[in-house]
Amino acid sequence: MEAHELLSRVVAGDERAWNELVGRFAGLVWSVARSFRLSSAATDDVVQTVWLRLAEHCGRIREPDRLASWLATTTRNESLRVIRGNVRLTPQDAFDETSDLTASSIEDRVTDDDTLRAVLKAFAQLSADDQALLRLLCAVPPLDYETIAETLGRPIGSIGPTRARCLERLRRLLPSGYDPKEGLR
Amino acid sequence: MTRPDDDLIAVLTTALRTADPVPARVLHAARGAYTWRTIDAELAELVFDSASELTGVRSEDQARQVTFQAPGIEIEVMVVDGSTRRIVGQLVPAQESTIELTGADRAVATTSDDLGRFTFDEVLPGPVRISVVGDGNTPTVHTDWVLL
Repeated sequence: MEAHELLSRVVAGDERAWNELVGRFAGLVWSVARSFRLSSAATDDVVQTVWLRLAEHCGRIREPDRLASWLATTTRNESLRVIRGNVRLTPQDAFDETSDLTASSIEDRVTDDDTLRAVLKAFAQLSADDQALLRLLCAVPPLDYETIAETLGRPIGSIGPTRARCLERLRRLLPSGYDPKEGLR
Repeated sequence: MTRPDDDLIAVLTTALRTADPVPARVLHAARGAYTWRTIDAELAELVFDSASELTGVRSEDQARQVTFQAPGIEIEVMVVDGSTRRIVGQLVPAQESTIELTGADRAVATTSDDLGRFTFDEVLPGPVRISVVGDGNTPTVHTDWVLL
């Protein structure tokens, strides 16, 4: 089902359609929020604000086919609000082990797959700007360059070339012999 | 755009989803957001927030100001920093109404005075909205959800 059909069911009060919508776009909202490197508590609150906002706005979205873009823009705006606004966040359990979301800790939290570990280790060594761009490029479903540019506050023409340079930097940080198709040899 | 680049993006996508998935608590809360949907109320949309203004001096020392707008009413809110972080609000045009501040797990209520002013002693944590409760002749107006 297309996003706009799902959305019109949501507007009509179909809670299953809402749950499907959340399932489909939760990863995208999460990727955008994480690209702003907020604390765990702030990330959770930003994401929840976006979903609450959508629940209230679902009948007013002007271009339902561009829901991914609407979600990304709303997530960006709420993230910037948190960064600038000194907001009051929902307290989290201090011992929540997922609280440490710094990039350098990521590769420790997975995985016995050597290829993924190598890629994550390389990712963690990239600059904050590179990581933000890559997170947006890895959003599922994918974001168009226009939305990525808007989220990063950069010109749209810069995204393609920056993507290429950024991936080149990532590649250089990978162990020699790495092949994205074959994995580590 | 080259194939090796696309392949690397694909691997990184898998890696990030494996290492940094959407937490179950976040998914659970997102599904629950739908139950907050209001059908027969007016929505006052967020039209101004001093925290999202790019221009001017970074306003760390100033109170944050947020304005919501619905047809016929404006809700202006100031968050006063300090030990308690109070909300000071103003309805335009002025009216005496029941005002609610709703957060994820509780709501508090107060009344605006004849000049349309209202106060909450502290901001509730997490996403909140403010409601101007209707009186039978006028519908309830909810603001957008916002972090204050």
